Amino acid sequence: MHELSMAQSIMNAVIETSEKNHANKVIEVIIEIGKMTMLNSEQVIFMLEILSEEEENRLTHGANFTVEEIPVEIECLECGFDGKLENADLDPYTPISRCPKCGNFKVNVKNGKDIIVKNIVIDK
Amino acid sequence: MFKKLGGDFIHKIANIDVQHNITKANKKIANRITKKLNDSNILGVDFVGAIGSGKTSLIEELIENMEGSIGVIVGDVISKFDAGRIEKFNIPVVGLNTGKECHLDAHLVEHAVEELPLDKIDYLLIENVGNLICPVDFDLGSHIRVVIISVSEGDDTAEKHPLIFQSADLVIINKIDIADAVGADAEKMVKDVKTLNPNVEVIKTSLKKGIGLDKIINVINQFKKDRNLKSTK
Repeated sequence: MHELSMAQSIMNAVIETSEKNHANKVIEVIIEIGKMTMLNSEQVIFMLEILSEEEENRLTHGANFTVEEIPVEIECLECGFDGKLENADLDPYTPISRCPKCGNFKVNVKNGKDIIVKNIVIDK
Repeated sequence: MFKKLGGDFIHKIANIDVQHNITKANKKIANRITKKLNDSNILGVDFVGAIGSGKTSLIEELIENMEGSIGVIVGDVISKFDAGRIEKFNIPVVGLNTGKECHLDAHLVEHAVEELPLDKIDYLLIENVGNLICPVDFDLGSHIRVVIISVSEGDDTAEKHPLIFQSADLVIINKIDIADAVGADAEKMVKDVKTLNPNVEVIKTSLKKGIGLDKIINVINQFKKDRNLKSTK
């Protein structure tokens, strides 16, 4: 639901970095999205594609956007399991941080909640 | 792009490592808000819930029944309606219009906090936009998050929105007096929340009938004591 505001924040970071690096054009943007965020990657890309074609975003016209999903990593406070949750443990629409070993919900989520503009490829 | 002798253009492609973490950028502002509240001995409480679950009603009841001074930030797509309900109590209130946005973020809240007389309040109550999904991604810098749902939204609400309940410090199940009329099982809702978040306190209420309000006030006061935030105003 907040994909547009996230896309706008991503665009701001992309444009700021591009200008700082004297880019002539942005070719590619790689974004990491944690699986425990309430974001739909396809919608984020859709929004980025729309924003990138706006008149004032001349640098990003035609840029390619790629999302890499970050798996959820947890630490179980009951049985001590420490590791990634495999896809089978995650409902893609409502991810739950639950220990895959003992089924407990008392877990510390170590990774999978972040949204990161990882890198950009530019033409200088 | 560089111009070569002879007129051709050569392109230099560069791969720039950005590593800009958008979630952490929000968290950084949230931490600033928490520090500001701690410095002023204020307990920050944010209220998340579906549309019509009773967020504004609960804040009205807390203003009328809690000891200590309260300041309120009311966030909504158009905040003037709910902010108007709070203004009649003659306490500090800031309305935040989110426009097309479905949630509050730390950036918006930080500006609202600047408008409040922090030296005159003990509790900052923040009402989020009616939504059980988007607020999950945004820490607002409050000390505790209260999630309020009502039986009329259906007794499968917790199951369908697990993450917001996992991030809650207190869960309120409101309108229990009409559970039979809407065919909802309030006990099932309590059980679902407890499954998702075993340590969280769950309180069943009917704010219209005054049921459960005293328990909520006790829990909020306990949170304030636990954080060693003294009411001095």
